Amino acid sequence: MGDMNGKDAVRTMNSTSIRHGEHVDTIESVDVVFRAQRKLSFTYGAVFFAVTLAIPALSVWWKSWYAVPIWGGFTANYLFVSLLYYIFLWTMAWTYSKQADKLDEQLMHMAADITAANTGEEA
Amino acid sequence: MNTIAIILVIGLTLFTIGLSIFSRRFTRTTADFYLAGRKVGSFANASAISGDYLSAASFLGVAGAVYASGLDGVWYAAGFAGGFMVVVLFIASALRRFGEYTVADFAFGRFGSSRIRLITVVAVLLTSLFYMAPQMFGAGTTWQVLVGTGFFGMSPYTSGVVVVAAIIAFYVAVGGMKGTTMNQIFQFWWLAFAMIMVVVFAFGNGFSYPKALADASAEPIVNTKAFTVAELTTPDAAGLTPYERAAEVMSAEELAAVDEFIASDAEGKIPVAFYAGNKLHDLRDMLFREPGHRYNTFDQFSMVLALVLGTAGLPHILNRYYTNPSGKAARRSTFWVLVFIGTFYILAPIAGLAGIGFIRDFVAGGGELNAATVNGLLVKPDQLMPTIAEILGGQWLMGIVAAGAFAAMFSTVGGLLIAAASALGHDVYEKYINKNASEAKRVAFGKASVLVFATLALAIGLAIPYFGLDQAYPALIAMMVTWAFSVGASAFVPMLLTGIWWKGTTERGATAGMLVGLVGAITIIFLNILQQLGTLGHEGILGFVGSLTYPVLFTFPLGLLTIIVVSKLDGQLPKNVDEIWMRIHGTASERHEKQHGLDKVGSMFAKK
Repeated sequence: MGDMNGKDAVRTMNSTSIRHGEHVDTIESVDVVFRAQRKLSFTYGAVFFAVTLAIPALSVWWKSWYAVPIWGGFTANYLFVSLLYYIFLWTMAWTYSKQADKLDEQLMHMAADITAANTGEEA
Repeated sequence: MNTIAIILVIGLTLFTIGLSIFSRRFTRTTADFYLAGRKVGSFANASAISGDYLSAASFLGVAGAVYASGLDGVWYAAGFAGGFMVVVLFIASALRRFGEYTVADFAFGRFGSSRIRLITVVAVLLTSLFYMAPQMFGAGTTWQVLVGTGFFGMSPYTSGVVVVAAIIAFYVAVGGMKGTTMNQIFQFWWLAFAMIMVVVFAFGNGFSYPKALADASAEPIVNTKAFTVAELTTPDAAGLTPYERAAEVMSAEELAAVDEFIASDAEGKIPVAFYAGNKLHDLRDMLFREPGHRYNTFDQFSMVLALVLGTAGLPHILNRYYTNPSGKAARRSTFWVLVFIGTFYILAPIAGLAGIGFIRDFVAGGGELNAATVNGLLVKPDQLMPTIAEILGGQWLMGIVAAGAFAAMFSTVGGLLIAAASALGHDVYEKYINKNASEAKRVAFGKASVLVFATLALAIGLAIPYFGLDQAYPALIAMMVTWAFSVGASAFVPMLLTGIWWKGTTERGATAGMLVGLVGAITIIFLNILQQLGTLGHEGILGFVGSLTYPVLFTFPLGLLTIIVVSKLDGQLPKNVDEIWMRIHGTASERHEKQHGLDKVGSMFAKK
């Protein structure tokens, strides 16, 4: 188990809860957190894979995408892979990161509330 | 002899050694040696991850692949960058939250068996060896261009491999993760500087991106390859010999040299140039701006999947996520990595495209290069970066680029050696061989593991030309790195994804899935190598499997499916599965860390 920064010195756990200092996770609170994180990650993942796999699909089946120059020697395919794809990645990573931070904050409070309700103590 | 360039490379090398010696005083515990004490902040960690990630494949290989293959080469850059999205979306936070040292620790903690930990260790070591191979090949080829001669009777290639293996082994063993982290931060920024300088010099010499792309696409792509006399005169399936194909492209003067080679019935090989075919749209000419030089329909998808999934399966990159102080910092690091490497990967294809015109004009003007050319094209595209630097900016720019190439190899092989040392030292020695070993003994074993793996890297580097791999593939560096990605994507990613996101994953399921992915990927890669070397034919099932350049489109879903099916059939979840689930997805630890300020970045250089 990780015990590199001393935090685990205060950790205790059993089959239904984990305590870190004053803070407790129960399996109910973790399930709520898990479902919300899964929804966020898999929504972004679906967009990421749809766009990323669309590029080779268009390269195979849509001539206007891969063979018609639109700016100097650039085709839409070359322009997207060499430049626009990075802008797509940066936008995805930034918005995901911000939303995940926000979700973390919400879930921390939510988990604390659920735990307090279940254990009857202040989480 | 490129004296100024060599002095710059020596200066960089001495600086990296100095950094390692400086960091030695801060490496006391195994946490320091493997994880830099878990005190690396987002920006520093992003720089270190970028340095770790940007290997010879990115610095030499991407530009070389674009130079040789046009748009199919540009995909290396886009795919290498895209892989970090999978890391940030599905893996980074959970891995950090689970709070272990290594991927093998995760496997053990999640599934609770020594069997899966040891299989993960084997997979880590194999993936690391696959990744080391192109770095060592890059060392040899860069030395050929930079120095041009060997020492102690060794060839220039061998000398480069030996020097790089020795230096990295020294500085990783001395500096551990802290020294390696500091070196990687410095090396990333040097790499970025070198790439920017090449592109700035290209634009300063009249390069125009849209015009150069139009010019490069005016004629079909020309391949270069070396043949023996027998190969030159043997007709292919279309009834044409390589000599007849070369006659369509090469000048009368260059063709006369080939005629003389054939007439003399000399041993060895001679490089020739010929028009490339289009593997994707076989009725179209193979133009630089269009897909199809390297990949058919299957490989277009398989290559993309290998690159975007493979990053999440690289043990030396995953290990870096354990050095983040919190899950939020892990996500923030990944965003900065994408900005850093994205900028780098936008520039690398520009350098590759620029090389076509500048090298052709330089050779046509009577210029002489250390790198071999035919028809105004480099015989080894992986030598593009130092070559174009010499043409555009003389010895100074060549020195900056050559130092960048060595920095890329140092930083990546350094990370791989740490990952391999972690796998052997932490996952095997500390867990099974000597559980009560003192800190000093553990660190000593880690350093010994580094030396063993550096020796293996050296052997692999020397084996590549021995087996003729450098002649079998165009732009070999990028190709070999993608094999490493394929092995990582097939072995680790299905296990990590299901382990993190599906509670029903069992130990037997995960073990079976990893084995299927690992063995399947390595088998297909070796069959492809055998086919390229002419040992395996194209007929039958083996011939078909051997024709797959990248196995991921088969092996990733196969690994995933195996995990799901075996887990369903098995149904034996770990007894403490709820505890494990709470460790992966719970927030109590982060709330506690936040309350006590433990999520803030401390100093990597704090003395204990």
